Amino acid sequence: MRARIWLAVSIAVLAVAPVAVWAGPAAAVTAGQPGNPLEIRVEPARQSAVIGDRVTIRAQVTNRGATRTDPLIAHLNVASLTGTYVDLEDWTAGPTQPVAPIDPAATANVSWEIQAVNTGSFDVYVVLLPNGPGSSGAGPLVAGPPTHVTVAGRRTLNAGGSLPIVVAMPLLLGAVALAARLRRRRT
Amino acid sequence: MTASSTTQSDWVAPARVRPAGGASWRTVAAQECRDLWLSGRGPLLLFAFSLLLSAFTYLAATNQAINFLEQREAVNLTMQIAVAVGVLVTLLVSADGISGERERGTLESLLLTPVSRRALVLGKLAAALTVWFATYLVSIPYIWVLGRGVSIVGQALLLSLVVGTVLAVGLAALGLLVSALSASNKVSIAVSFFILLALFAPTQLPGGLPKGWFGDVLARVNPVGAGLHYSTAILVNGHEWTRDFNYLIAPGVLVVLAVVPLMLLSDRIVQLEPGSAR
Repeated sequence: MRARIWLAVSIAVLAVAPVAVWAGPAAAVTAGQPGNPLEIRVEPARQSAVIGDRVTIRAQVTNRGATRTDPLIAHLNVASLTGTYVDLEDWTAGPTQPVAPIDPAATANVSWEIQAVNTGSFDVYVVLLPNGPGSSGAGPLVAGPPTHVTVAGRRTLNAGGSLPIVVAMPLLLGAVALAARLRRRRT
Repeated sequence: MTASSTTQSDWVAPARVRPAGGASWRTVAAQECRDLWLSGRGPLLLFAFSLLLSAFTYLAATNQAINFLEQREAVNLTMQIAVAVGVLVTLLVSADGISGERERGTLESLLLTPVSRRALVLGKLAAALTVWFATYLVSIPYIWVLGRGVSIVGQALLLSLVVGTVLAVGLAALGLLVSALSASNKVSIAVSFFILLALFAPTQLPGGLPKGWFGDVLARVNPVGAGLHYSTAILVNGHEWTRDFNYLIAPGVLVVLAVVPLMLLSDRIVQLEPGSAR
């Protein structure tokens, strides 16, 4: 009887686990660092895209401390998990955004629209850098949780399909131009 | 209007060409169109235009470096090239309008016809715009072949018609102004070409215009850059037509600033010698 109960529980856990794992990352994820009052919440946690798609990454920065923060810089970065070369400028024209000082228990929202220009698996993450008169260049940095982006390839343009137009149009217009020239010579 | 014998006889016989009122500019436009399209100059320009679009379309469809772009971007790039080159050709044709007649010695007989100078420039403007509409028609199959399968072909064609026509009207009027004021045809074409390059250069800066208010002002003030930005915002970024509508202010202002002086000053500036009194 006990063995049956364990078997049933095991089956139930095995059945639910993938759903839990799948459902977990779909929601927003939050991260902070010990001793640092800033906490970053990022959504979406996981995103599938086709090359060329645009994905919006939203970060919510919360000040859990008792004092107002210095001005901050929020920097977005893209790291390839499959060895693909990533040129950040291709993904977003503005990876760095200023964040005004945040009051205690207050939040600031920052978002980026990025374009998936490479295929593969990528982690997109946000780093906060202090940018006050005394804190600029001194750190510490606060990194947010990554958004996992999987980009599938797609070949949208059909070279073969364009060939008739590419060849026919100049031929047609060349013939018209030639006919106009010949007509003018005759007259 | 070139100095062909039939053209001359049409123009120097007032009894045959005495169009009344608003019809006179249409007579000028019709004659200009005949000269442009039957002489072979217009069809030759269209042939060169189609060669350029064919090369670009084939590259966009086959080149891996370009092919990574989303289909919307490929359509947008092709549309921008079609608008840019179509407007360039229109500008060059209009830049030849007055100064070319002067150099060929046909302006005098043209000024003797019972057609007002305002009707003359309006007719020439209308004829130059036929080049733009012809390049637009040629670009349709290219945009269709790149954009079929996605629902932006109609949008791209409408956008290029709206933005391109506004730019073409403004730049063709500017070309006629330059042509009327230039001492020679070479100067007129060189100045017009320079103006167009100066308007296009900022759109080709690597990384785009500088960020911040200055870059934003530059993007909105430049009629060519603003027009192309508007089309990109709709086609690539999926914005609503009304969201970036203020980017069309600069092309609209160009039309007003070029067409109004051209019409108001036509009696003064369309002369046998540039700058001479009537």
